[in-house]
Amino acid sequence: MMKSNKLIRLFPMLLLIVVVSLLTACSKQGGSKKGMAMTSGARDTTLVIGMLGDADYLNPVIGASLTSSEITGLIYPGLLQGEFDTKTGLMNYLALEKRFRPSSGDPDTKSPKAALARTWSMSPDHRSITYILRNDAKWADGQPVTSRDFKFAYRLYGNPVIASPRQQFLAELVGAGKGGVDFDRAIETPNDTTLVFRFYKPVPEHLALFHTSLTPLPEHLWKKVNPREFRESKLNQQPVGAGPYRLAAWNKQQSLTLSSSASCNLPKPGNIKRIIYRVIPDYTVRLAQLQTGDVDVVENVKPEDFAAVQKANPNVDIRTIGLRVYDYVGWQNIDGDYYNQSGKIRPHPLFGNPAIRQALTLAIDRQSIIDGYLGEYGVLARTDISPSLKWAYDDSIKPYGYDPAQAVKLLEQSGWLPGPDGIRQKNGRRFSFVLYTNAGNARRNYACVIIQQNLREIGIECKIELQESNVFFQNLQERKLGAWMAGWAIGLEIDPLDVWGSDLKKSRFNFPGYINPRIDQLCDLAKNRMRTEDARPYWIEYQKILHEEQPITFLYWIRETQGFSRRIQGAKLNISGTYYNIDDWTLKPSIAP
Amino acid sequence: MLRYILKRLLIAVPLMFGVLTLTFFIIRLAPGDPAAFFIQPGISPNVAEQLRQQYGLNDPLPVQYLKWLINVLHGDFGRSFSRAQQPVFDVIAEALPVTMTIAILTLIANFLFGIIIGVISAVRQNSFLDRFLTVTALFFYSMPEFWFALMMIIMFALRFPLFPVSGLNEVGAESYGTIGFIMDRIWHLVLPVTVLSINGAAGIARYVRGSMLEVIRQDYIRTARAKGLSERAVILKHALRNALLPVVTLMGSSLPFIFSGALFIEVIFAFPGMGRVTVEAIFARDYPLIIANTFVSGIMIVFGNLLADVLYAVVDPRIKL
Repeated sequence: MMKSNKLIRLFPMLLLIVVVSLLTACSKQGGSKKGMAMTSGARDTTLVIGMLGDADYLNPVIGASLTSSEITGLIYPGLLQGEFDTKTGLMNYLALEKRFRPSSGDPDTKSPKAALARTWSMSPDHRSITYILRNDAKWADGQPVTSRDFKFAYRLYGNPVIASPRQQFLAELVGAGKGGVDFDRAIETPNDTTLVFRFYKPVPEHLALFHTSLTPLPEHLWKKVNPREFRESKLNQQPVGAGPYRLAAWNKQQSLTLSSSASCNLPKPGNIKRIIYRVIPDYTVRLAQLQTGDVDVVENVKPEDFAAVQKANPNVDIRTIGLRVYDYVGWQNIDGDYYNQSGKIRPHPLFGNPAIRQALTLAIDRQSIIDGYLGEYGVLARTDISPSLKWAYDDSIKPYGYDPAQAVKLLEQSGWLPGPDGIRQKNGRRFSFVLYTNAGNARRNYACVIIQQNLREIGIECKIELQESNVFFQNLQERKLGAWMAGWAIGLEIDPLDVWGSDLKKSRFNFPGYINPRIDQLCDLAKNRMRTEDARPYWIEYQKILHEEQPITFLYWIRETQGFSRRIQGAKLNISGTYYNIDDWTLKPSIAP
Repeated sequence: MLRYILKRLLIAVPLMFGVLTLTFFIIRLAPGDPAAFFIQPGISPNVAEQLRQQYGLNDPLPVQYLKWLINVLHGDFGRSFSRAQQPVFDVIAEALPVTMTIAILTLIANFLFGIIIGVISAVRQNSFLDRFLTVTALFFYSMPEFWFALMMIIMFALRFPLFPVSGLNEVGAESYGTIGFIMDRIWHLVLPVTVLSINGAAGIARYVRGSMLEVIRQDYIRTARAKGLSERAVILKHALRNALLPVVTLMGSSLPFIFSGALFIEVIFAFPGMGRVTVEAIFARDYPLIIANTFVSGIMIVFGNLLADVLYAVVDPRIKL
């Protein structure tokens, strides 16, 4: 009895010893491994980027996620070098020997040496554009890059079986006006270094440059692939490009490694020897990895975490890019149920009146949402033209301030008077609605709660409901939601017809059902100007109308904030992307021990 | 026994078929669209439609079902919508080894520690040790696992950097050679397996304690002691074997876990395992992948239960199959 008791008593002790020795063994092992894996030399030539999710196809024709585009951009060559001019907010396009616009003196200009095109010329009638290509560019397997590679790739972009997300780039080519692009006439390749695109209508030069600069694919490799099996091809996972990097390894859902391509002459192999993209789905863990220095770049660090991260690791810098993303509260302008049943338009009983929508905007304390959550990384939004697009932005519009008294006045003028329970009423209908948003967005949750309080103060009842993203999006498309909070990321070319166009069947993203024919006119007028800047008066009028009618309540622009290790040098971030000039980045060597 | 097993397996066939059919219809009735990702500004409006056409989602539901059924009967579960058109079983084959490594290590640790703690608590009932172990076990059992995992990361990866924060291997671990690679893998698995097994072992310990307490009050235990057997033989040979009967059920029902994975661990520690495959497939409305996952986990549940029943018969001669 005594003996066995002792034994039982010994059990935990033994266990503890086993566990502790195991742990220390592991950690010792680990310690030495860590030293091996990232000897300071290897670490000094390796950049590690933390990502939320993995890339899908490393193929410019079908790659859909942002990560895929960023990585294919490094593997594949480009016809032109695109550049965002932060002084004017205009896009610029560069070939080796030609620039679309003169430099505005912005210090962030990129070298045009990566472009495949030496120069281009636009025909006087704006119906064709001719590129002269350089003759020394080579795919990673040594074959030359020729104009035929472009023509071949454009056929793929336009093939409905392949369903390329970039097929609208072909919308102006000959034949596209009448059903299908006639590739034999639309794209001509008289010789290896001449590439001609023909359009069925006059096209502004900036749009022609934008739409003809899709990435080519090496014809000699891809021509064997049947379009039906295009998405399944192994080449999507083992791309052959011509850019500054090539794919070295890809452990699906774990990490993707690029290595600097020694043979690249467009313009040179990437400066940093290896770039590793690591998939780390959890935000807290990505942040922890940034703190420990295992990861050098983490995108979209939340403002509330800056202080803690920088305190834990002073080597972390917070970098911002331009204003490209905004949040808004959407109001259903038309009666969604009635529209769904009958296809006819009548104003929404609560939000159909512009004065009511103005009152709602006045009643929401947008500045305190910014102060409470985004701080210096938020800017009050007036309309959906970003302040970063300086050439079009109307600075003279005075944003609605927080003015509950004025809001009450507007509501009472429209007949919404306080009811017995403190909630406003009109003809027996209470001003009560549900504000929907997608689950899992802390910033929107925060904003929703403030909006709920603000509206309660002027006698409007607002309930909050969170929906799973897929469900939320489908309900939005089906106009089932009266009020919701969501956001948009804008494109760098202004083209808002999808969002505000009066033809609700065609304008897929006009969720509020806002109808104003003048907006359609202005968009068309702007699109048909041959010079982008000349469209400014139209965009000024456009902003005035949106500000006046408040189809939605624009809340704030968000400055996206990226966590960067300070050992990264030469990174120039702007609205066109965080990794805009990643091939020019260098890493500061760690101090020798 | 063999007949029994065969019978059970035969019954499982219509059962699996029913489960898959139900899943097929439920996911298609749920709101959401597999092509929804392609409905965004800057992407041609045709893309979503062309993809739906390719995926065969425009056919009427009965036609879709028939086509799917014919394919499945030929063993073709299709290709994933959301993971670059990989065949679904390739996706699962990539994720399964990761999940199985973690789960098997976890299960071993779970049962080993759970049984040891349970036995000690029962034998020394109401002692300080018992109270201490019970309270500690309850403490860990009631702790949210995702939070516990984050705390472990903060403690052992940030504050005292003993273990890596996430990942299966150090970047570039391929160059270490086989032994180095395996050691690196083990080093990465310490934190997640600890989190999972502390929580699981606490639960099992409660079961074992309860059933052990019942058993050691039985007459045959007294008889064994009266025969003059050593306490060790009494506890480990006579009592424990009988006390483990309910634990065998637990073991059987743990089998699906080996294949389905622990989502939060995979997300937090960035492991590409089955939990993430399943949940990401659901969020992306990746129908073929959801069905394939249901198939794999369904089979495992059937096998798990069968295994538990057979094990019952093995450990308890009173049960006849």
